[in-house]
Amino acid sequence: MPDTLDDSTLIARSIGAPESFAALFDRHADEIHRYAARRLGGELADDVTGEVFLVAFRGRARYDPSWPDARPWLYGIATKVVSQHRRAERRRTAAMARVSVERPGTFDDRSADRVTAEQLQPRLARALTRLSAAERDLLLLVAWADLTYEEAALALGVPVGTVRSRLHRLRVKVRRALGGTDPFAEEPQHG
Amino acid sequence: MDDEIRVFAEGRPEAPPYGAEARARARERLLTQARSGGGRFRVPPLGWQAAAAFGVTVVLVGGVAVALSNQGAGPGPATSATQSAEVTPGELHPRPGQFIMVESETMYGSFTMGADGKEASRHLYRSHRKIWQSVDGSASGLLMMEGREPRPWPGEELPEAEKTGWQGTSWDTLAACPGRLGEYRTDYAYLSTLPADPAALRERLYRLGGKGGDRDFSALDHARSMLTETYLPRAQRQALFEAIKTIPGVRAKQGVEDAAGREGVALARPGGERGVENQLIFDPETFMYLGEREEVVAEGAAAPKGSILALTAQLSVSVVDRLPEEAAQAQGDASCMPESEVSAGAPPQSPAPGTPTATASPATASPAPDAPTETASPAPHAPTEIASPAPDMPTETASPAPGAPTASAVPESADADMPTAGPVPTVTD
Repeated sequence: MPDTLDDSTLIARSIGAPESFAALFDRHADEIHRYAARRLGGELADDVTGEVFLVAFRGRARYDPSWPDARPWLYGIATKVVSQHRRAERRRTAAMARVSVERPGTFDDRSADRVTAEQLQPRLARALTRLSAAERDLLLLVAWADLTYEEAALALGVPVGTVRSRLHRLRVKVRRALGGTDPFAEEPQHG
Repeated sequence: MDDEIRVFAEGRPEAPPYGAEARARARERLLTQARSGGGRFRVPPLGWQAAAAFGVTVVLVGGVAVALSNQGAGPGPATSATQSAEVTPGELHPRPGQFIMVESETMYGSFTMGADGKEASRHLYRSHRKIWQSVDGSASGLLMMEGREPRPWPGEELPEAEKTGWQGTSWDTLAACPGRLGEYRTDYAYLSTLPADPAALRERLYRLGGKGGDRDFSALDHARSMLTETYLPRAQRQALFEAIKTIPGVRAKQGVEDAAGREGVALARPGGERGVENQLIFDPETFMYLGEREEVVAEGAAAPKGSILALTAQLSVSVVDRLPEEAAQAQGDASCMPESEVSAGAPPQSPAPGTPTATASPATASPAPDAPTETASPAPHAPTEIASPAPDMPTETASPAPGAPTASAVPESADADMPTAGPVPTVTD
């Protein structure tokens, strides 16, 4: 039955029967939306998600049939579509990075040696601003979309080796931006 | 996961839920596009008819009209010397830089899904297709889809939503994504390097057909993907035919008709979903692939026994020097966008030095009104940077074709792939 077919079969089927492509939307739209929303906020995410599936639909004849799971392909398209909103993303990241400044008490409130995700975000946002666009794309595919290195490579259209070396570089940058310590631990400087 | 990445994973910001309304809107937009055959409506331009006035030699290959563009005739300096001696009547000898155009009629089951992912309605979707694919996978291709009146699912009424809106023609660019498909390539340059030995080809069908499930079916399905909207040299066609015959469960049935009413021998195998038998129909003389058919053979299946759930016909295969004008306005194809600039826009248009392909011969058979062949036009250029060598052109071509992929390759990798636009696997349980 069609709802048990893998993605690649569905996509292949949608060549002759385009409407079957809606099943791919049903399967993955929420996930793609979530990713877009994390990067751009909810409002833009609506547009981006719609656009991703239209782009995917038009390009379905190009789908690599050796990948049963279409997520990497969809995330690759999503990455490209998101990148058309770089300014919006920069604004959003900058806003997130400012939160801690505007709420100076945040870190004082912490009782354990672990900060919450919300408190962590401003620092992560600042770290993000130090990455190149390509590094940011890769990091967030792995960290937010939970893609494996191989899937991220597929999504970005680069060899896995490139993914590994890019990750290595960006980890160094992130570590430096986060102060060289485990950010979940007590922050030594201010707080 | 490394620490730095874990930090980001755990610190991922809240994502507002996908609003039901926005979600429904996006889905509807997608469906509208799908129902219109994939995109824009456009009236076929006059270019067609004009192109037909120039020489296109049409021969019949086992009932398949094969338009031979520039085959052993005409003043094409680059080709006449090499190909005239080599031409086997009825066989095409595509060269790098050219395109293979396959025209077909298709009917497949179409299923719409409800928001819950369950099947909401079904009918038989029909279209008329033309697909242009680069001979060596180095250039973007083009797909035209023209809606045909849908048919109801056997034993059911045509859903109200399908009764209108099926008309229209769409043009889509099929981006060349070099290196993407690997052994799944279906461009001519690659297919013509496959073994002409049925046993070796059979091994390949099983190796690439996928693991798990019904491996025999997967092998058959992979064979179909090699046949759909492609062109194989005769040696590979025949070998593939013989290889398919050895798949357990496959039997040959004589006198099976394709969507155009042409009779051929079907290699048929039951066992797909919905209680159907999959039939790949061939011309028994030339082993040209005519089309496919899906017939319900089980009682109590999704449709009455004997009904047809898929039926296609590959009407013609031709070689043309370049894409039709519509290519310039076709929908872009971003499916291999990342770091692949070639994919973003229109197909390459700069002339290829040294590969003029004039076609000045008058049509010797009935002109194919649809076969687009521009005369004396420079072929789309073969990219010049070299990465890794691509497979050679077929060996029966005595001298190397100009611009063969061994001499030039695509920018990123000569392992160019072309769309597997055709494969519509009906079944994989």
